[in-house]
Amino acid sequence: MNISDYISIFAIVFVMFNGILGSVLVVIYGERKVLARLQQRIGPSRTGPWGILQTLADAVKLVLKEDIRPQNSDRIIFYLAPLIIFTPIFMLWVVLPFGSGLVLGDIDLGLFYVSALLGLSVVGMVAAGWSSNSKYAMLGSARSAAQLISYELPLILSILSVGLFAQLFTDNPFNLSSIVNAQAGLPFIFVMPLAFVLFLIGGLAETARIPFDIPHADEEIVGGAFVEYSGIRWGAFQLSEYTGLITMAFLASILFLGGWSGPFSDKFVWLQPFYISSKTAFIILLAFWIRAPLPRLRIDQLMAFAWKAIIPISFANFILVSLVVFIGDRISLPIFQIQLILGLLNLISMIALAYLLTSRRKRRLAVYRERWGEK
Amino acid sequence: MFTALFLFFLWRPISLGTTTGLFTALKHAFRRPVTLQYPTEQPVLAPRFMAHPVLTWDFEVDEPYCTGCLICMKICPTDVITVSMKDNEKFASEDSKRRKIVDDFKLDVADCIMCGLCVDYCNFDAIVMSDHFDASVDNRSNLVHDLQTLLDEGKGQQEKGRWSPPATKKSQRRSAAQAKVSKPSSSEEAKESTSEENEIETD
Amino acid sequence: METKATVIRDENSETAELRINMGPQHPATHGVFRMVLTLDGERVVTVEPHIGYLHRGSEKLTEGENFQQITTLFDRLDYISNFNNEWVYVRTVERAMEVEIPERAEFIRIILGELNRIASHFLFYGTYGLDIGAMNPVMIGFRERERIQALFEGVSGARMMHNYFRVGGVKEDLPDGFVPAINALLEHLKKGYEDAKNILTESEIFIERTAGIGALDAERTLDYGVTGPVLRAAGVDYDIRKADPYSMYSDLDFSVPLGSHGDCYDRYMVRMLEIEQSIKIIEQCIRRLPDGPIQGKVSRILRPPEGDFFVHGENPRGDLGVYLVSTGGTVRPYRLKIRGPSFSNLMALSSMMEGAYLADSTVILGSLDIVLGEVDR
Repeated sequence: MNISDYISIFAIVFVMFNGILGSVLVVIYGERKVLARLQQRIGPSRTGPWGILQTLADAVKLVLKEDIRPQNSDRIIFYLAPLIIFTPIFMLWVVLPFGSGLVLGDIDLGLFYVSALLGLSVVGMVAAGWSSNSKYAMLGSARSAAQLISYELPLILSILSVGLFAQLFTDNPFNLSSIVNAQAGLPFIFVMPLAFVLFLIGGLAETARIPFDIPHADEEIVGGAFVEYSGIRWGAFQLSEYTGLITMAFLASILFLGGWSGPFSDKFVWLQPFYISSKTAFIILLAFWIRAPLPRLRIDQLMAFAWKAIIPISFANFILVSLVVFIGDRISLPIFQIQLILGLLNLISMIALAYLLTSRRKRRLAVYRERWGEK
Repeated sequence: MFTALFLFFLWRPISLGTTTGLFTALKHAFRRPVTLQYPTEQPVLAPRFMAHPVLTWDFEVDEPYCTGCLICMKICPTDVITVSMKDNEKFASEDSKRRKIVDDFKLDVADCIMCGLCVDYCNFDAIVMSDHFDASVDNRSNLVHDLQTLLDEGKGQQEKGRWSPPATKKSQRRSAAQAKVSKPSSSEEAKESTSEENEIETD
Repeated sequence: METKATVIRDENSETAELRINMGPQHPATHGVFRMVLTLDGERVVTVEPHIGYLHRGSEKLTEGENFQQITTLFDRLDYISNFNNEWVYVRTVERAMEVEIPERAEFIRIILGELNRIASHFLFYGTYGLDIGAMNPVMIGFRERERIQALFEGVSGARMMHNYFRVGGVKEDLPDGFVPAINALLEHLKKGYEDAKNILTESEIFIERTAGIGALDAERTLDYGVTGPVLRAAGVDYDIRKADPYSMYSDLDFSVPLGSHGDCYDRYMVRMLEIEQSIKIIEQCIRRLPDGPIQGKVSRILRPPEGDFFVHGENPRGDLGVYLVSTGGTVRPYRLKIRGPSFSNLMALSSMMEGAYLADSTVILGSLDIVLGEVDR
């Protein structure tokens, strides 16, 4: 490698890094605006036209703020924790493709790389909570450890079912680019909507957003693991949270929504990043919408939801997908028929699940109806 | 087709409970925001809005209505008013009917609770509650308003029409009182009541 | 619904209880309330409430103020339901002086008092949603409360610290165009109430979080002297507007919503249904609002006769009682004791919270709907 290679690598990393930072600013601004509209407010409107500079101003404020370390905290871990959370989420972007060939490292085991790095942020959370020598932070980090580990399973299982299904199309099913190429005909959301819903739930929980924001729980433990952080370090946590959200949405659009493929995306290459980012934005908007009116679950309910509902369903879904793929491959059905069968099976199971849940919900609602009657 | 089927079967389950909340939130997005962009958009104040009290000016005689009778000072729950009176020079020259006139009037807006009792109890309609709600200043001592400031602010209030002269007000009140109670309106009782009013805190 | 957690524990490992300090600077303690929680994992073992951070000595201050001035102190007691506070106080002096209040004044008082109850319950709705983690309710609650306060500003000149009720009546007559304004307001409130209901009342997560949490049965609520919606949620039919009717309440048609389980969900529902009832009361009052005087025959100096007088009224938070000792002939009370609903309701806190989850602690505290201005006085 000569010097020009180093320079080009540096330039690419620089552009990526700043692009992600910029998109985080946009997402935070978007969240504030969208939430405001969902609540009949205006949201930021003073800094710059329509308040678009608000998050930038907040970021500048955070950078300029005094960096405080609590007494008796573990200094090295305290300073390392933001980096531990921050780095793996950025490392994920190495394998995420923006368009055909528009990816830093198109590695064959992309899905494994993604699932491995997704699990790392919990270490940072625990480190942050433990090192800050605060009871609130400790509670928050214990909660986030429990939650992140529980919801990793459905997330990874639904990722793997995508990989399994992609086997039918390519020899390289764990490579993200080939997964996208496999969806050129029909995006996987139509083939396996169940996995998509599981991925969304797992993603919301992984990024600790309402109704799963128990690690932060502003009304109980006032911010959880980051409660003692201030200034740029707190900003780093915030940054990694929102990068996590973007990453999840990006992954969802790659795995289920067909990534960069869309009308005319083969002819006009410049359309590809546009398609993928608009799909990502759609998922992010969904997360904002869910955030507005929903209350937060309690820790035991969250755990029960994970271990009693979501994880068994993900296993069932995984087994369903593998059976269909295996049998279909054995009797060499055409791909279209496999897609149809899997889609129908998924649909049936989803409707069954929904009705199952509805009867549960009805039992819950009975609390309301029995006590207060229909008025 | 898939989507239609999906929605058809799932409509009943999703039109329950939590999802109603989600759609209610979505409905809010299409309503006009209720935010008032305060400094650029000023609130519409009710005519009765009460900020701190100010003093009114009698334009006919060119002097304040206030005679410095101290009743506001006595009724004030937080003791923010300090008044003193003096002989009215204009009374000597028979320009004015007021024998005494306010000499000094201090109002500490920092402690004022804007209750409006001074306006209620003033016998000469010399006080009015202003609509000056953004009372923030750089220095606490700027919150102590003296006679001149209060009169200037009062003139502003009079120009805005937030206060009507006592003649009309009193006649209104009298007619209202006549309509209200079949009270024997003897002049003796009126005198009694004013004398009572003036010794409000004598115990 | 009651969740019983089985704690799996290794006998050999050492565990310790965690004492955490919640408040007075904590977002969910509704002011400057402080509690020291002893936690076993996520479970609350003991609660020690600490109050007094907002102590202003209101009761003592009344001994130095004239009877006219004391209304301003009552505005600042429970700063969410100011009209109701003033009302109980002026009724105390009225009872002492045996003043007759004109009917129009009574109706004005009922309208404003019930509007204030709605405002208070909407505020509860908002903050309670926030306690549980939902963000939209607080915006809806404050939006509706803001509309009510705009009307209050038109009537009394102030949004919160009204000082509008006088012994014998009210300060001024209603402004012009009050009736159309309040009719429009009620339409808005009904719509806002629907919005509010849609977001929380049937939400599974909300039911999951509140039903069965912090339950107090009827017997224990009576033991603790709990009043208001918290008492009625436990199924005790005690509303002073019905049990000891004052003003024109005996002539008005309304019902008292009652719960059955006494848990947080019932408290929420009782408050929400009280909004409906209050709207009903106000509609009746507007229909029956007579013309006439607004001030009874009272001298401007108030000198109640010698004696002890106790009057109580139904505040949004419960039973506010005022006990007045007058020595007769003086313009100041000898002693004025306030029995605040928030303070009494707060006493039941530790018995509700013990054994609950840490996340439930804010839910339980929020369901009591305390106002620290009145707890600490």
